[in-house]
Amino acid sequence: MKYFGGCDVGSTFTKAVIMDETGKMVADTTIRSKINSEQSAIAAMEEVINQVPDLASSKDLEYLIGTGYGRNKVPFADENISEISCHAMGVHITDPSVKAIIDIGGQDVKGISIDTDGTVKNFAMNDKCSAGTGRFFEAMARSFEMDLSDFSKLSLTAKNVIPITAQCTVFAESEVITLVGEGKPMDEIAAGIEMAVAKRCFVMAKKAGATDSITLTGGCAKNDGLKEAIEHVLKLKVVNLKTDPQLMGALGAAEYARQKGLAKK
Amino acid sequence: MKDLKHLIYFESLLENADNELVKQAQAEGGLAIGYTCFHIPEVILNCGNMFSVRLRAPNTGSIDIATYYMSNYTCEYARALVERAIEGGYQFLDAMIGVDACSMMNRAMEHFEILNINEKPTFFVTHTDMPYKITDYTVDGYVKQMRLRVLDRLSEVYGVDTSDAAIRQAVEEHNEVCRIISEIGEMRKADNPVITGYEFHVLNLVTYTCPKKLILPYLRETLEELKQREPDAKSPFRARVAIVGSEIDDPSLTKLIEGCGALVVSDRYCFGSTPGREVLELKDDEDALTQICRHYMEVSECARYIADEKVMQRRETADRLAREFKAEGIIYEQMKYCDYWGFERALVSHIMHDEYGWPVLSIDRLYNNGNSGQLRTRCQAFVESLEIKRIHKEEGKV
Repeated sequence: MKYFGGCDVGSTFTKAVIMDETGKMVADTTIRSKINSEQSAIAAMEEVINQVPDLASSKDLEYLIGTGYGRNKVPFADENISEISCHAMGVHITDPSVKAIIDIGGQDVKGISIDTDGTVKNFAMNDKCSAGTGRFFEAMARSFEMDLSDFSKLSLTAKNVIPITAQCTVFAESEVITLVGEGKPMDEIAAGIEMAVAKRCFVMAKKAGATDSITLTGGCAKNDGLKEAIEHVLKLKVVNLKTDPQLMGALGAAEYARQKGLAKK
Repeated sequence: MKDLKHLIYFESLLENADNELVKQAQAEGGLAIGYTCFHIPEVILNCGNMFSVRLRAPNTGSIDIATYYMSNYTCEYARALVERAIEGGYQFLDAMIGVDACSMMNRAMEHFEILNINEKPTFFVTHTDMPYKITDYTVDGYVKQMRLRVLDRLSEVYGVDTSDAAIRQAVEEHNEVCRIISEIGEMRKADNPVITGYEFHVLNLVTYTCPKKLILPYLRETLEELKQREPDAKSPFRARVAIVGSEIDDPSLTKLIEGCGALVVSDRYCFGSTPGREVLELKDDEDALTQICRHYMEVSECARYIADEKVMQRRETADRLAREFKAEGIIYEQMKYCDYWGFERALVSHIMHDEYGWPVLSIDRLYNNGNSGQLRTRCQAFVESLEIKRIHKEEGKV
């Protein structure tokens, strides 16, 4: 059996996937990124290699593709592909009916529309600002003195939404601290935060050309409150993927590796 | 490919506005005349002992002081120039020629004056108007502006010969630069060109920022070198793109795009070669200044012009250049807060895709972008989509 790898080195988490020649995902991992992208890639690849008895090291893979922020730092990679292309392919092989993605990573937000063959039809991406990204949510959860998983469910109980006006992560954090200090309900403030991010996602999704169903990828896809807010502002059904949405970049990279590795022979 | 003999030297000339050749020309009695916009015909600033320097602000870091004076919503090129001026980067200039082509640059010129950015006693800033339509009377107005507010001022203050004969002599030297750059630019049409977009960008930039007389020997030698240069057996690039948009004086942006696998084959932007490096054909039966001004108005591709014929001209030029240079896609770019190109990019990036059928990447960007990871990701994704489209076309899937 031949194996193919995809390694998505993100700014916050590093994800790796190994796929066999039939396209079945046989190993995966998600680890916190280290400061050094190469070390992150090595650690993630070691974890997935250990899950496949036939493999001893990354060198045993037929083809390996790096993607994500540190895509050009993946040791033994045959090539690197942008995370935009990889997320599109990852979602396409997971659910071909989905034609648009909002990918919320640690440091950026992307809207991607997918062509019938899994390639990118169009995309839009935020600028340097971290508003609406995973870093933004981390900062907000910190203000609430909560972990991310509890924070992501908080807004689901809110009866009202307290609007957050600041776009900047730093200013939004101080706005939230002020609101908390004023004794405003925590769940309603959280709903305001989710709504602010959802509106930013609306812009990216529309710019990319999302018209039908949409899915969320990246770490923030696991945020239930955000998912609800996005459905509300976009007026589109957010499709739940059967595979961990945080893995879509690595999965798409592995699929590209499979296609290119098999074509190589 | 073998490295170009003078590339590192050319790069060093772009590190500062008062580069080695500028200093040499001034030491030999030359007058450095700064300008920032295509609409000041650079050739008229090269009469007599003057030489033109199109201003850049290389290696700009923080632009906080300029932002204080000019607000966040002013284009970063204008702010970077003011910041560099405040830092003392344009002390070498003998005069500064402004043109009211956009309000951003107008404000920069005002700050050059108000903040006394140059301590030379004879230094002056002059402003000129720029018409929006091309008719006989607007060309006449433009000519008068250039004569009264630019040439006559320079003549009064520095005693420069700005006669018709002096202008025609400057045109000869200007034309040689243009002929060389155009010939080199045409090489990018080859399937596997002997010059990269980055190298061409550097070459073209030095022609704007260095005294023509002093840069010409290097250009002549580089042209001959390129005629003999062997391209790599297999091009390292995965796609070919044309760039259309606002001001780009930072070759690291071209390097970033090419680093993502896209060979930049055409450069329709401020500081680019199309327009800017076409030869000026002068007739004898009309004064040189009028012919030059008319030419600059006619060939200008600036998005400031909103007359129907100019709107269509810009689209047709973008389409023509992309086809002639065998581009597979177009990158529409805009300096953040550039009013004119902000509108043009937002609209025409869709038109070029929907009506002309071009794959388009639309980006707004900062003045300095060389290290932008997000821009790199966008460009790489665009290259990948172009590459896949080509593969599908070859496989008959399209």
